[in-house]
Amino acid sequence: MKITDAGMHPYPAGDSTVARMALEAGELGFDSVVVIGDAVCQPSSIEVLQGAAIGATSIKEVLKRVRDPAVRRADVVYVDAGDAAFNRAVVSIKEVNVVRSIHAARRNAFDHVAARTAAEQGVAVDISMAPIIHFRGTKRQRVLQQYADILSLQRRYGFLLTISSDACSILGQRSVRDIRGLCALFGMTGAEVTEALSTIGQIIEPHQPVRVVE
Amino acid sequence: MRPRPPAMRTKRRYILVRIHPCGARVDQKQVYLAVIEAVTSLLGDAAAGLAQPAVVFCEEGYAIVRCRRGTEKDIAAALATVTTAADERIALRTVAVSGTIHALRRRMRPIRHLSMDEGVKIGETYFTAYRYPRQKVDLVEKGIKHQKSFFFTEADLEER
Repeated sequence: MKITDAGMHPYPAGDSTVARMALEAGELGFDSVVVIGDAVCQPSSIEVLQGAAIGATSIKEVLKRVRDPAVRRADVVYVDAGDAAFNRAVVSIKEVNVVRSIHAARRNAFDHVAARTAAEQGVAVDISMAPIIHFRGTKRQRVLQQYADILSLQRRYGFLLTISSDACSILGQRSVRDIRGLCALFGMTGAEVTEALSTIGQIIEPHQPVRVVE
Repeated sequence: MRPRPPAMRTKRRYILVRIHPCGARVDQKQVYLAVIEAVTSLLGDAAAGLAQPAVVFCEEGYAIVRCRRGTEKDIAAALATVTTAADERIALRTVAVSGTIHALRRRMRPIRHLSMDEGVKIGETYFTAYRYPRQKVDLVEKGIKHQKSFFFTEADLEER
């Protein structure tokens, strides 16, 4: 079981390089990280996976973008959440691994239909720590409400969850213990956090029946 | 005034946090104000009042935050939401929780520069490079106020 930070944005999007962020992530208790963006993955102390994020307004655009060579090369494909119809459609696309920025979508944009489809298709929903850390007041309250809502759907339908720091700097990265504390704010248990942190490993290497090779 | 007998005193817990980046110039009062703001905004006035958070030590890149026993998890979660102190970007990372300051002082490892600070030019901007163990290099823009910071490794710097 690999504990993975499901999303970071290193230099040039942020102020810290991939190698430095990987070094810090190792010190904070992670076994691997997913780097989103144009940063070049270099060999480092922990495993660095390449992620591709698709920010699209229509399903047509998503279907076009997932065929892009850069997206095909990525280990994990993310799509930014949109309205309810968009989310229902996006979770049924085979190439999509994770739906992210769910906090930026409208409330109830990820509903029970999308949740059931996500569970069937093995698509995960990303919970970002950045809004909890950086937002204040009503904005953060809304994010916590939204995450609590996602958690209740996850407990009912059993789709996958991932947890990302969404850090652009080493100052935005948090330890596994801190993430447990922050997730407890919206009712997530320690076991659920551990399971969510190991989801990327399941996406990369899914559980499959044992094949007997003669 | 006679002090309260030990059994009647409020039980405390002490949280040792490391201040990132290593070269952050923040004093005890600035860290206290940042902690209070984070605790109040996350947990509310009532919970912050009951937890009684206070910064009792802040030196050498470490700070010790005091709180009431039983509230240390909430306070640690709130400490994770600290992003600035005195207009300087910082992060507080929990190292350990204990019932005595003495036990936490043993967990502190001094953060030392590896070599003399030197100048580095990236693009048109001049930076001062601070080197730390494990090949970490912090680049701070030369200037008086609102300097940019970059966080690299030795290998990244050699590539440029």
